[in-house]
Amino acid sequence: MTPPVPHNLPAEPNRFVGRGRDLIELSTLVHDERVVTLSGIGGIGKTRLSLRVAARAAPGFADGVWLVELARVADPALIVNEIAGVLGVRDEAPGRLLDGLRVRLREARALIVLDNCEHLVDRCAELVAGLIADCPELRFLLTSREPLHIPGELVWRVPPLELPDDHHPDAESVLLFVERALAAGARSVTGSMDDVVRLCRALDGLPLALELAAARTSLMSPGRIADRIGDRFTLLTRGDRTAPARQRTLLATVEWSHDLLRPKERVLLRRLSVFAGLFDLAVAERVCADGGIVRRAELLDLLSGLVDKSLVLHHDGRYRLLETIRQYAAERLAEAGELTRLRDRHLRVICEEMEFCYQAGALDPRMPWPARVPHFARGRALMDDCRAAVERAVESADPVLGLRLARAALAILAVRGELGETVGWHRRLLALDLSRVPSDVVAVAKGGLAYGLEICDELARAEELVVQGVEEQKRHPYTHWLGVTYSVALAVFFRTGQSEKALRYLEELEAAATAHDDPFNLATVRIAQLNLALFRGQLRQARRRGEEALALAREAGHHWTLARALTHLGAVAEAAGDLEAAVTCHTSALPLLEDMGNRVELARCQAKLGRVSARMHDYPAARLHLAASLALSTRTGQRRGVVRALMAMSALAGEQGDLEGAVLAAAAATALREAIGQYGVPGPVQELLTRARGGLGEGRVSLLWAKGARQSPEEVARRVLDPGQAVPAGGPRPVNGSWQSGLTGRELEIAALLTGGLSNRAIALKLVISPATVARHVANIMEKLGFASRAQIAVWATEHGLESHPT
Amino acid sequence: MDEHIVMVDAGTGLELTEKQLDERSAIATVQLRRRGVRAGDTVLVCLPVGPDLLVAADAVMAAGGVVWPVPVDLDRAGLGERIRASGARVMISDVPAALEAAEESRVRIVMSVAELNGRHPYPNSRGQSTESDRVDPAGGGDLAEM
Repeated sequence: MTPPVPHNLPAEPNRFVGRGRDLIELSTLVHDERVVTLSGIGGIGKTRLSLRVAARAAPGFADGVWLVELARVADPALIVNEIAGVLGVRDEAPGRLLDGLRVRLREARALIVLDNCEHLVDRCAELVAGLIADCPELRFLLTSREPLHIPGELVWRVPPLELPDDHHPDAESVLLFVERALAAGARSVTGSMDDVVRLCRALDGLPLALELAAARTSLMSPGRIADRIGDRFTLLTRGDRTAPARQRTLLATVEWSHDLLRPKERVLLRRLSVFAGLFDLAVAERVCADGGIVRRAELLDLLSGLVDKSLVLHHDGRYRLLETIRQYAAERLAEAGELTRLRDRHLRVICEEMEFCYQAGALDPRMPWPARVPHFARGRALMDDCRAAVERAVESADPVLGLRLARAALAILAVRGELGETVGWHRRLLALDLSRVPSDVVAVAKGGLAYGLEICDELARAEELVVQGVEEQKRHPYTHWLGVTYSVALAVFFRTGQSEKALRYLEELEAAATAHDDPFNLATVRIAQLNLALFRGQLRQARRRGEEALALAREAGHHWTLARALTHLGAVAEAAGDLEAAVTCHTSALPLLEDMGNRVELARCQAKLGRVSARMHDYPAARLHLAASLALSTRTGQRRGVVRALMAMSALAGEQGDLEGAVLAAAAATALREAIGQYGVPGPVQELLTRARGGLGEGRVSLLWAKGARQSPEEVARRVLDPGQAVPAGGPRPVNGSWQSGLTGRELEIAALLTGGLSNRAIALKLVISPATVARHVANIMEKLGFASRAQIAVWATEHGLESHPT
Repeated sequence: MDEHIVMVDAGTGLELTEKQLDERSAIATVQLRRRGVRAGDTVLVCLPVGPDLLVAADAVMAAGGVVWPVPVDLDRAGLGERIRASGARVMISDVPAALEAAEESRVRIVMSVAELNGRHPYPNSRGQSTESDRVDPAGGGDLAEM
């Protein structure tokens, strides 16, 4: 049994009908071709087909099949974020996601499905072309109304479902209509098959049109629907009259279905178009109800009505609009003059929802972790809407709600170590006119931006902002945010060696957090004090601070702080040479980090465990931890993490007396460090090289260094973590073409004749068959042997002793 | 081997030898099969009279398919009608009008002559893919402006 392929494909909402041969062919094509684009108008079924193909083709993609929905992405710069989010790649430093994606995908045999590319064609083309060039095993399946027009793209035009005719009354389109009509509770559909056939033809076999029509069959007969929709084509009020027929058919059907709605349902449908993706009833009520036309109490009924009419999809307690419907609804919203008002309301509601999630999950200083988790999860589920809301805040030059939203989002995302996107939000919002924004909101936002800048090493700018942030907030009553801003300042000061300033801020924060009973920020103080003591070599002092931090973290019930306290105590123990204690600390942090989904910190923790285990000569454990660390960093695209894992592998090899392995791993780590702009050879590597030169000789070490610098981290890991496998498993692959090539007798005969340079016609004469038959055999041989020309067959045949025997 | 000539292009005077025809149609057959053409399938061929047309027709036959030729000089409506009538899944053409007419048909894949000849240009590296991505975060403005 092969292990199941990882994927994020949604469960199918109902039965998939038809397209049997297309599915078979496309599942093969997505393996053979690097980029397959399913093209066609909205509503023709591209998305549904792509999901089916992806699921069918999945067994060939060991590293997963990943659906990335782009319909809700408005800004081309965010496509990378969307892909990274799906693949679990984290921002190494804000703006470096694409590098992370390459790390993740370089050796991955994966299929990425980009759904709804049409509004982002240029950037998609650039990204897809770049990624396939860098990642040889990667494949893309796209859905788009327009092809990308990149070299090697196979454009596959999705046709409508087959229409019935006299020979095939049960064509695909009829089957789909009947299936959905029965599901909608229609009883008499099969009694009027002539009308069904007429309707399917009128709807041109377009799946979305068929679904919308079928959803009405509980109240209206197929014959009547066919008549009504027939009238529509002549009366089409909206849209381009010169548009292709299919597009007009679809628009007419959507319009027909829309116009049959009750007025309140119409209002709700258009208002729902402001949501970026999935939404739940509670948020829909807050954004779409207005107390006048649509009241909160009736919203569930109206929403269910839209679900029954197939205009809104419902799964797992959440709702969404199909992209084609969403666009139609958005046009109606603009037409009704409600667009601005609704987007403003959406911004306010999303801001308040995020603030609620933050407050519920983080504000209570003492709260058990399991009570916090659901609030953080709910906040993360609102990310798509947050993006749209921030967009609105920037557009309307109204930074207050946007900054409040960004502040709450930052706190929620920091738990998983995902700051990247909020840094961009802060940057854009702070660039607006801030004169009407309360100064404490601006001050917190400066701290938030500094947080992101510190991570991407822009320390001077970070310092400037964070000092402004702290000083301004000190003029206002104490908040949790002040503590967070202080801790960013501490990090900046430590990193720039300004211990005087750090100490002063440390004391201020300690006093403030103590006075305001804020165990979360007090724990931050203790951890900073631990770092300071560790730096000064005061190990006992450091341990005491760590234990205090641990006690505070337990009291606060915040696992993020708890994990930080544990890993810092582990570092102190390691420095003190108490390796057993170090292992205990790090091991206790693992499940906490895993539970939070903070895989970046998890990778770091695994690397430390690997290093400590190696020092304790527990090599099997060290190998397991380091393999886990490397895999986590690769999957999250963290090159610094990969460097860390490689350095620990070098140390492990050194402990085991495997100097060659140690040099290889150190070389690979150094090469990767240089790739991310960190130059110079660190002390431990220089020591290793000196030792290795003594043991192996100068020449051998330079050779190994050069080799390691060229190897991928995975290759080095295979060599170091599994010393029995110095040679890649399997050895060179047998070249195609052996006697087990699968050629038939006739094909072997023809291959032999090709060595004599005979033409198809000449071979045909010789074998008394037609030239077309010869050509078919030749094509079969090429396919079976994977050749690209007849000449290759001749060479192959000669090499295998097949000779033509002139008679 | 003698250079047996099987076609002369009236426009350019270029000649197609039997060997070239055999070689090119063998490659084209494999390409057609890769795109799912099977025995009994109809394949539209809309190409000007010349060597490419001969190669395409030979390849379709060798793949076990049925050639459904469409004259290149038909008007849009005529093209559309012929294309729809074929019910074909694959069309071989470089003719813009035919490509457009195929939009409203059941043609899944359109193959150009280049693709038929097995040319599948692939970038080994592209400028933007090797340099690091300092993507402007969400169109963010310059920091100095803040």
